[in-house]
Amino acid sequence: MTTRAVEPWTLEPMVGFVQEAGARLVLVMTSAGQVLAQHGFSRAMDVMSAAALGAAIMASTDEIARQLDQPPFAALNHQGERHGIFLAAVPTNRGRLVVLVVYDLDVSSLGLVQLFFGQLAADLRAASPKPEVPKQVLAADFERDLGNSLNALFGR
Amino acid sequence: MSLVNFTAREIACKIVYYGPGRSGKTTNLHYVYDRVPDSRRGQMVSLATQTDRTLFFDFLPIDLGQISGFSTRFQLYTVPGQVYYNATRRLVLQGADGVVFVADSQAQQLDENLESLQNLQSNLLEHGVDVRSLPLVMQYNKQDLPRELILAPADLDDALNFRGVPSFGADALHGAGVFETLKGISELVLKRLAAGSPA
Repeated sequence: MTTRAVEPWTLEPMVGFVQEAGARLVLVMTSAGQVLAQHGFSRAMDVMSAAALGAAIMASTDEIARQLDQPPFAALNHQGERHGIFLAAVPTNRGRLVVLVVYDLDVSSLGLVQLFFGQLAADLRAASPKPEVPKQVLAADFERDLGNSLNALFGR
Repeated sequence: MSLVNFTAREIACKIVYYGPGRSGKTTNLHYVYDRVPDSRRGQMVSLATQTDRTLFFDFLPIDLGQISGFSTRFQLYTVPGQVYYNATRRLVLQGADGVVFVADSQAQQLDENLESLQNLQSNLLEHGVDVRSLPLVMQYNKQDLPRELILAPADLDDALNFRGVPSFGADALHGAGVFETLKGISELVLKRLAAGSPA
């Protein structure tokens, strides 16, 4: 099982949640679908697809709530034959995050996931750092690397 | 907003292909998907209607490899072009690091292109983003159609490219200009990161 965090402060809360709730897959992401932490996915790219879809579901239900002139829905749950999907948002110093949880119905349950999600949300809120001033990322001469990478990507 | 992990030296950026219905946004992503090796791309996700019109978005993650020592991934999205899907179009724009505006070069589609460009500006403003501050390139697609039906890139620049951003003629169905467009927007987005600007 792959467990990793792009932003290290998200790792401990997520690992604790996975153990307590018996979750199979977990994604912690920004509301735009950028993954901050993940558990249980094997291919990085598939993680991105799941994140894009999860963020889109949250965004569309938020928009429905907005059009109904009510606060965003707290959480969404879809129950399948063998797996359940739970999606919820957490306001943090890092902005509004979205958590996607996939759980096996013979190992966990919606009640268990909801129970420990409250703790996950509190832990993420407490651990989230204040926004930083953006700093320079790439060297000024990145264009050559970019040109080489794209040429290789397109077989040129 | 770009996600930069200084510890693992990773960058993830979101690029949105925007434009009127049937201008070729999804076709751009299909061409990229077909040309990029399996190991460098993820699954292409298409949320489409039964007639293959984009309902919510298409999504394609690609791995650019190492840029300046950072493992760099781009997430390519399209928006639904049809006018009545504006709510979903606005959602897909959220957190975009750069936009490719795919215009339909047919002369009779000029009004649709202008309307879509104004719609882009208005949807970005709803996210608090000034279109002038966002990396943007123009792609004039369907340049393979008979000359009497289309406008030349220079004419489309006059009509649509108010900011004088990089523009590319294209025939996305056969791949002409797709690579150049992706390269153009990649450069702008990464230049912004290199300058240390807020992403």
